[in-house]
Amino acid sequence: MATVAARRSFLQPSVLPGFGLTFGFTTFFLSAIVLLPLVALVLKAGSMNPHDFVRVALSARALASYRLSFGAALLAAGINLVFGFIVAWSLVRYDFPGRKLIDALIDLPFALPTAVSGIALTTVFAQNGWIGRYLALAGIKVAYTWIGVVIALVLIGMPFMVRTVQPALAEVQRELEDAAEILGAGRFHTFRRIILPTVLPAMLTGFAMAFARAVGEYGSVIFIAGNLPLKTEITPLLIVIRLDEFDVPGAAALGFVMLVFSFLGLLAINLLQAWGRRRMVARR
Amino acid sequence: MSITLDQITKHYQGTPVVNDVSIDIGDGEFFVLLGPSGSGKSTLLRAIAGLTGVDHGRISLHGRDVTHLSARARGVGLVFQNYALFRHMTVADNIEFALRVRRVKAAERRRRRAELLRLVALPGMDDRLPAQLSGGQQQRVAVARALAHEPEVLLLDEPFGALDAKIREELRRTIRQVQRELGITTILVTHDQEEAFALADRIGVMNLGRLLEVGRPENLYARPATRFVATFLGAANLLLARQTAAGTLLGSTPVIAPAVSPPARDHEVVAVLRPEEIELAPAREALASNWLGAGSVEQLLYGGATERMRIRLAEAQAGRVVSAENPQQPAMLEVTRTEHERRLFPVQPGQTVHLGVRRLHVLATPLSSFTACAPTLEEAQELSRQPWLTELATRMKTRVGVRAGSNNPAAATGAPAADAAACLGVAVISATTQAHATIPNLLQQGAEAVLLLPPGALPPSRVLIHWAGEDARRATLAVSASLLRHVAAEAVYVGTQPDGHAPDGTRRPGGLRALLDARSEARSMHGLEMRTEFGSGDAATELTRRLESAPGQLLVLGICDPADLEGRFAALLAQTHSAVLVVQSTVRDA
Repeated sequence: MATVAARRSFLQPSVLPGFGLTFGFTTFFLSAIVLLPLVALVLKAGSMNPHDFVRVALSARALASYRLSFGAALLAAGINLVFGFIVAWSLVRYDFPGRKLIDALIDLPFALPTAVSGIALTTVFAQNGWIGRYLALAGIKVAYTWIGVVIALVLIGMPFMVRTVQPALAEVQRELEDAAEILGAGRFHTFRRIILPTVLPAMLTGFAMAFARAVGEYGSVIFIAGNLPLKTEITPLLIVIRLDEFDVPGAAALGFVMLVFSFLGLLAINLLQAWGRRRMVARR
Repeated sequence: MSITLDQITKHYQGTPVVNDVSIDIGDGEFFVLLGPSGSGKSTLLRAIAGLTGVDHGRISLHGRDVTHLSARARGVGLVFQNYALFRHMTVADNIEFALRVRRVKAAERRRRRAELLRLVALPGMDDRLPAQLSGGQQQRVAVARALAHEPEVLLLDEPFGALDAKIREELRRTIRQVQRELGITTILVTHDQEEAFALADRIGVMNLGRLLEVGRPENLYARPATRFVATFLGAANLLLARQTAAGTLLGSTPVIAPAVSPPARDHEVVAVLRPEEIELAPAREALASNWLGAGSVEQLLYGGATERMRIRLAEAQAGRVVSAENPQQPAMLEVTRTEHERRLFPVQPGQTVHLGVRRLHVLATPLSSFTACAPTLEEAQELSRQPWLTELATRMKTRVGVRAGSNNPAAATGAPAADAAACLGVAVISATTQAHATIPNLLQQGAEAVLLLPPGALPPSRVLIHWAGEDARRATLAVSASLLRHVAAEAVYVGTQPDGHAPDGTRRPGGLRALLDARSEARSMHGLEMRTEFGSGDAATELTRRLESAPGQLLVLGICDPADLEGRFAALLAQTHSAVLVVQSTVRDA
């Protein structure tokens, strides 16, 4: 009996047939598309001698690009955390004319070729553009600086944030707010103590997704960034430059570093989420 | 008074969901608002809590007018059907929420928490999360949380809805105990009559936004005033009976002794026969109570302590029973017997038995049943199938009969209709130019009222009430109140100030005084709140103008003298596209 039960625990009886087939397909698919290429990347980077690897991966130009790529991605995800939440809130809570239209617009950055977004942003934020013109008067230069990079990444990451927070917000029962109000809580208190904790996990997920997307973004950034080495050059672009020079091991080394950082970043966010869940449970 | 509601009205998209509700609830009373879903009971509770505004009326808690106060400031406790616990907080934090908001010191919070957890019988659960508790335990936490800030009033919105039967009963006991121990005034909203009986000091029954009746459970059960309350509180067989000088008759058998003041003429009434008040015996002679008739057992359900069955009455009697589920079918009688009775006289499905009536309660409602009257049977049947009429009859749990025959005065005068036809209930006629002549004739033949139903009349959202002459007031109000219990519409009394002299040369003395009397009579005797609107000039013209102004109106018109119909109101009746219910001042009141 016990052995049967033990074997059964992996293969849960299910109404859906073909567990073996689907599981086999999943493993094969993930291996072929995700795991194997990553292993190849690691192997390629590992084939370099350590000295060369360090020279390429820790060159001044590479270091500057890491800082820009990860720094701008983090900042953009942070901006999205706040403004994406506000957008999601207004879409869920208010019924205003044109709500459906705005709701549909949110998905546009998903569908638009990123190069198009980049060109559009550059047009608007360039020094003679619609907005850039006035920012220039105030002495702020957006296009061809790191600020431009951040703006492009905000645009790219926004739908991830909104689309993850939206369903979570919609699920917050109005009754909870009613209950808090009856118990004497003011609006701010209700928001901070009841609504925010309830949607925080979704916000962190949205943050992680927006961040991950921003780190890997290439198309839109290269148009608005100006791509000055050491200043506005992002790591993915550096990798492409290396490839153009037929320096495949060099590109692989940079790619390996990105892989490690991305992995660490996502791990950190996941840990944060788990910690947050536990913290919500414990005393304030 | 702890909670006073005064004429609370709340509209939602034009239709009243809470319609002129007034209640006084005493200190420490456990009041249950009972009604089907959509009756407005939850909306009313939310209005008391301050979560929903009201369009009209006042709410006071302990003498303090809170109508315009926010929910925060009202000092009430509310328990939701789905608990509405804060899922990311422990039981302790949930309960202390209201205390933290009020910046109560930690030690005091702990003391209060321990006390509340003891009260709801959940000691030691402080550090659990709501998700780790069962449904019943979660609701107990919700009760404790609602009581933490020592509210003056506890409101419970279907608190047992999501729980299974055993847990429900346990929690019910706990809530009753908590309520007694704290002496807190409590309102509970439910659709479950068993729950209402188990908990209530007093029950208020709501339907279609109106508060129909308020009373102690045993009184409401034994002597309901309306057929809705009769059938909603427990099971009831509704029968059409006749009140005559010889007593109350079911068919031809008298089942109740004559009243102290016998009615001046026979008329149809609705009688409530509880399933447990029916006696069964093998023969008529073996019955200890008044014989009702013979019938065959159709369905038998053994339920442990009681046995339930449905009995089909023999043909002659069947027409008198109206079933709650389907008023159009000759109905079956619902009978419940105790185990003891079952042992004395066991029955089998298909067996013929004799039925006796131990106790019959006659409702005060003047609208008993409908009879569609038309010259030919086809026309009568078509009239009886008008959607609004069938809907109204279904709501009133009554039937629509048909009667063919000439209704015109020339043919019918002198020859009073046969015995059965004498009890028409409400006669329904379609619009005709002869209406002014047909209606008095039908009234004379024994109709309680006549409903003039033009083809395509819409279900009313406004009921206009007017009586021509104070003698008709009482009957008009009774019929209006009875009708308004079954339609979601607002009641508007239309009065007219005759400018100079009315066409008939009389001037009604003390119009305003009479109006105030009428309003207080409507409220105290029928629980009916009316809005008042005044017009000027001739009443018939004014009423016609108002009926023309918007669709979906119905006029209840009280008259003293049938001649009025042929004179003043002939044009109104001939032209109207709205339904008109004509009531005559009843002879028995005169």
